[in-house]
Amino acid sequence: MSDYLVSEKTLAGFFTALATGRRLLAPQGQGDDCRLAETTGPVSLDYANTHLSPKGVFFPQTEKILAFHKLADKPKANQYQDLGDQAQPTVIFGLRPCDARGLTVSNRVFQNDRFTDPYWKGKYESAIKIGLACLNPSPQCFCAAMGGSPFGEMGLDVLAYPKDQGLGLKALTPAGEEILKKAQAEPADLAADMAALEKKAIQSQGSLDDYATINERKIMELYKADHWAKTAEPCLGCGVCTFFCPTCHCFDIQDEQNEVGGVRMRNWDTCMSPLFTLHGSGHNPRPSKVERVRQRFMHKLKYIPLKQDGVRGCTGCGRCVVMCPANIDIRSVAAVMAQASA
Amino acid sequence: MGNLDDLTQKIREKAKSLLKSGQVEVVIGYRAGTVPLVAAPFFARSPEDCDNLIWSSFARLNLANYLPNRAGKVALVAKGCDARSAVGQVTENQFPRENLYLLGVPCAGLIDPARVAAKEPRPIQSATESDEAITITGAGFSQEIKKAEVLRRNCQTCAHRTPTVSNELTGPETPNAPPDDFSDLKDLLAKTPAERLAYFKDLIKDCLRCYACRNACPLCYCPICFVDETRPQWLGKSTDPMDTMTFHLLRGLHCAGRCTACGTCETACPVNIKVREFNRVLDKSVQENWAYEPGLTWDQKPPLTIYQPNDPADFIK
Amino acid sequence: MSDFEPKVVAFFCNWCTYGAADLAGVSRLDYPPNFRVVRLPCTGRLNPKFIMEAFKRGADGVWVSGCHPGDCHYIAGNYHARRKFVLLHTLLETIGVEPNRLRFSWISSAEANKFQAMARDVVESVRACGPNLTFRKAEFKLDLAEVA
Repeated sequence: MSDYLVSEKTLAGFFTALATGRRLLAPQGQGDDCRLAETTGPVSLDYANTHLSPKGVFFPQTEKILAFHKLADKPKANQYQDLGDQAQPTVIFGLRPCDARGLTVSNRVFQNDRFTDPYWKGKYESAIKIGLACLNPSPQCFCAAMGGSPFGEMGLDVLAYPKDQGLGLKALTPAGEEILKKAQAEPADLAADMAALEKKAIQSQGSLDDYATINERKIMELYKADHWAKTAEPCLGCGVCTFFCPTCHCFDIQDEQNEVGGVRMRNWDTCMSPLFTLHGSGHNPRPSKVERVRQRFMHKLKYIPLKQDGVRGCTGCGRCVVMCPANIDIRSVAAVMAQASA
Repeated sequence: MGNLDDLTQKIREKAKSLLKSGQVEVVIGYRAGTVPLVAAPFFARSPEDCDNLIWSSFARLNLANYLPNRAGKVALVAKGCDARSAVGQVTENQFPRENLYLLGVPCAGLIDPARVAAKEPRPIQSATESDEAITITGAGFSQEIKKAEVLRRNCQTCAHRTPTVSNELTGPETPNAPPDDFSDLKDLLAKTPAERLAYFKDLIKDCLRCYACRNACPLCYCPICFVDETRPQWLGKSTDPMDTMTFHLLRGLHCAGRCTACGTCETACPVNIKVREFNRVLDKSVQENWAYEPGLTWDQKPPLTIYQPNDPADFIK
Repeated sequence: MSDFEPKVVAFFCNWCTYGAADLAGVSRLDYPPNFRVVRLPCTGRLNPKFIMEAFKRGADGVWVSGCHPGDCHYIAGNYHARRKFVLLHTLLETIGVEPNRLRFSWISSAEANKFQAMARDVVESVRACGPNLTFRKAEFKLDLAEVA
């Protein structure tokens, strides 16, 4: 794999080349309006992060997976037909490393040695993911504390960073290398430049706790710790943290029909809702917000790392920290978990 | 020292004495947030906890939301709208009046982060405030903004900034804003039905149905919300715009005649939907038809629990 | 538009308008067959979500009718309903539902003639609005299932 350069002059052509033969998604808009949208360029490099995480590209909030019709005179009436993965060739430019890392967490849930989710797989694997490293991480970012980096490479095909009004690019996979060559990026050697910028970006996040003791503690020790009632007390029980989280991947299957036909779809669900665990019998194993809040943080910081070779379910993107109406800050919770006595 | 610091000191002193004397078991107030422009809910149970309590013009969440289903005696740090919501909950038998101590804070209006962002879009690292202005600081910039320029919409038209009912006020009464004349709704009503429908559909197009507006609302205490009902299921779980619209319409109707315009729904909304627009349509109707404002006294009856034989309703044929 | 026949969901109080519909029928007063009646014990039972459900599922109009104020079988059900209707009517009208799609009326069980006239008026008003295309759930895109 090699490094490449795109100069200010060739930048527009680079994006046009990316968008040729496939759709190009890139962040557009500023602040709370920043979202991934289809474009052919030019692409703004001046954004903190997309308001919503990019998971919706591969795992839409509502995804119709099966459908049937009720037209008795046509074949296969009243029989569910698979709608397929509905994937299309895509290149995403401007994934932040935290989000790309978050997508790998969901990827291992949707594709592993036991299950393959065709709807996720088709979309995830057909997308070329070009990351944009963070030269100036946002004030609420803490990727380094969660094991990532503003220049993290996990889950990306190419890592780009703004350089001299153009782009520096590092190919990370053969697919990434190929698309850069096709887009006629010039070969370069950027290793030293990137290392220096990465160091600076990490330092800008300040001296962060790495919450390492959470990894050492036993599950039940963390689970039974006495802080959970206090931690959960301000929680409103809305779904903001889960909907904005790049690694939250839980869904709810629903059927809807009308007089002409019906669909089966899956929708984002949230473990913050009592409905999430409500059994048909009326029993609810997570009856109060204490259990639900504990589940969320245990899942992010303990269960996922155990199952995914130490990769945390929190990537430090900071969305829940900013969005939580009650300001339940995962950094504070992680710090309490790291210290809490059983 | 300014008025804000006085209020903070007074809240801490009073909270300490209430907890020490055993008059209450918990003081629900605000602590400094971990992100700029936010004051977070905080539950003080010991006198030592009380040193975390603050008053701030970032204290947007309505704390009355924490009252229903809570056992024991509670002191609530309450600005005008929170106090009204708490009174409403007592009126609706959601919390016993004898368990409630209202530590009233005369409010001067709270800051809307979206309006701050409109003035300064760069990421903010920290924010401080004086009585008249906030100072926001980010990478390579620091800017002072007058509070009056970035108040929340509902605070700009708040006619009850100082709690109308409280056990004790922590400071001198604050001047009220000119009341809401709903003038923007008049403009809206001048449009055609199709234009209005387009306006309201556009208003909620980003809704994620996370229900933060509902969960942050002190009026929404139903054990099972209609959106969560499954037999029958009234609302689809998808992002169908009509299901979303139904949620917003019915949420508005459920709050009609009870909403104190605290704005906590808009504060909680992560995609900046002006969810109060639905409530305001209804607030206007409630005020015009029954001249009612909720939560001003202990013995008011909410307008939908009573009737007059000659109530006007000309549209019914 | 000429072959458009509106579908109206009607919510009638058991003690009055439902009886008026019955009386209209046995009196051989003809009225359009465009509405489907849901019988309620009282207009006080009308939850706004019923109306939303009707529109969501594609009703072109909704008609709610109960006892004249003062005549409620349960003393005050329709007084309470009336206040609810004021808000519901205001809200739906403000957000842009055409006023003629939603009708409220008081019709006693003796008023078969009023029922007949109102039924015709409701259906014609809704017909004039045209099909409800904007205040209903999106149609499913079923092409894939049909092709398969």
